[in-house]
Amino acid sequence: MKALVTGAASGLGLALVERLCAQGADVVAIDRNLIPSNDGVTALTVDLSDRDAVDQLNVELCAMGPFDFVVHNAGISATGRFEEIPEQAYQKLLAVNCETPMVMTSALLQAGSLAPRAHVLFISSISHQTGYPGASVYAASKDALAVYAKSIRRDCSRQDIHVMTVFPGPVRTDHAERHAPAGANAERRMEPTVLARKIVRAALRRRKTFYPEPQAKIGGFLGTLMPRATTRFMRRTIFEKLDRTVY
Amino acid sequence: MDDRPTALITGATSGIGLALVQRMSDDQRLILTGRRDPSVLPEKLPQGTQYIKADLSVPGVGVDTIEAAFKAADHKSLDRLIVNAGTGFYAPVEREDAGMIRSTLDVNLGASVILACRFAPYLEAVGGTVVFIGSVAHRGAANMPSYAASKAGLAGLARSLGSEWEGRIGVQIIHPGPTRTGMHEKAGYPTGGKRDRLFFSSEGMADEIIRLMDSGRPHGTVMLRAGLRQLFSGKRS
Repeated sequence: MKALVTGAASGLGLALVERLCAQGADVVAIDRNLIPSNDGVTALTVDLSDRDAVDQLNVELCAMGPFDFVVHNAGISATGRFEEIPEQAYQKLLAVNCETPMVMTSALLQAGSLAPRAHVLFISSISHQTGYPGASVYAASKDALAVYAKSIRRDCSRQDIHVMTVFPGPVRTDHAERHAPAGANAERRMEPTVLARKIVRAALRRRKTFYPEPQAKIGGFLGTLMPRATTRFMRRTIFEKLDRTVY
Repeated sequence: MDDRPTALITGATSGIGLALVQRMSDDQRLILTGRRDPSVLPEKLPQGTQYIKADLSVPGVGVDTIEAAFKAADHKSLDRLIVNAGTGFYAPVEREDAGMIRSTLDVNLGASVILACRFAPYLEAVGGTVVFIGSVAHRGAANMPSYAASKAGLAGLARSLGSEWEGRIGVQIIHPGPTRTGMHEKAGYPTGGKRDRLFFSSEGMADEIIRLMDSGRPHGTVMLRAGLRQLFSGKRS
């Protein structure tokens, strides 16, 4: 099995790389930061917000394929008051979180670099169901990603390619630590290794969407049922407690 | 002294944007933006409106141009920011390339974020509202994946930002159903034939959008209501 994971230097991405390696995959791992070396891992250092770099990377990736398992995991956030975050941070966020996964997916697909029966995974967020005041552009990017996955699912499955969207809640990573409001309980966040195992298992079962934890499912259900009340609850638990701007 | 409320409309030279202009120019002071040179506009913009030529395909630069002209005209506040400019390509995932994806996201989502950011102080000064024009495609569209994604992003932005800005600046998103505008041809959508009859006219859509804007509801979709009205009355608008 040949796999591709973006945002592979830490957090969920690193856990996914380790999980896939443990299952015998050769993994092409991409990150802007240094990726811990591991047997079976080909590490590429690329800034996924840089369009020229992404175009060049896509050419390389298409030649390295076909891939059996692709995870668009790389993501950055920007939390704080909407107008206090610099525009460049927003542009970077949109590029990493939604533009690059889309551009990469279409490049791989059009080059025939996705193997038959391949899995393509998009890591969205529970915010797709609940909203995320204090990180509106992050929420927007994850909504865009989820709807992109939904839009291409049928055409991909016609070519025997499986598309799955994951809606994780909080994960115990440095990323979450940086962006969470002060005093948030890290104990409640899911361990990346646990989440990675669940995600790979759900993908191999060819699920269309995956909510890794019950809270995410409940949040999703409430978000559909009472979108405004749910978003207001998110505002109270997150936005009103944010004491700093992080991007 | 002109004491009518001020509204800024992007993508105002054609389609739904132009139809909105024609309906709003009497009782609102309009600032319009578009990509085209003022001398080649297909229809004359109403008297007394300000036109700013700005290309939002490079979001930062386009918004810089708009803000500079807005300031130069000595506006101190804005009652409504109507983020209407949009672009899209009719191409499923097998045919959509990097250029199409990037320009769709830049114009529809990136520029909208920056516009909201930059005009927030002017809106807040008078308790104004930002109105995003979305699309019914925000729930997914196989033939326009990145377009659908960009509009989903806009819907998500409106949802979270609306909550964050509660009590300060209003946020609305309105999702128009299929409308006969130049966008479909530009996007490469096959036009003509029976399907066209199901489309709204730009004018009919603009009426519905104005109705929803005035209602103050945080989100609305124009699909059934006017469609049914058309069906019963036989009139386009």
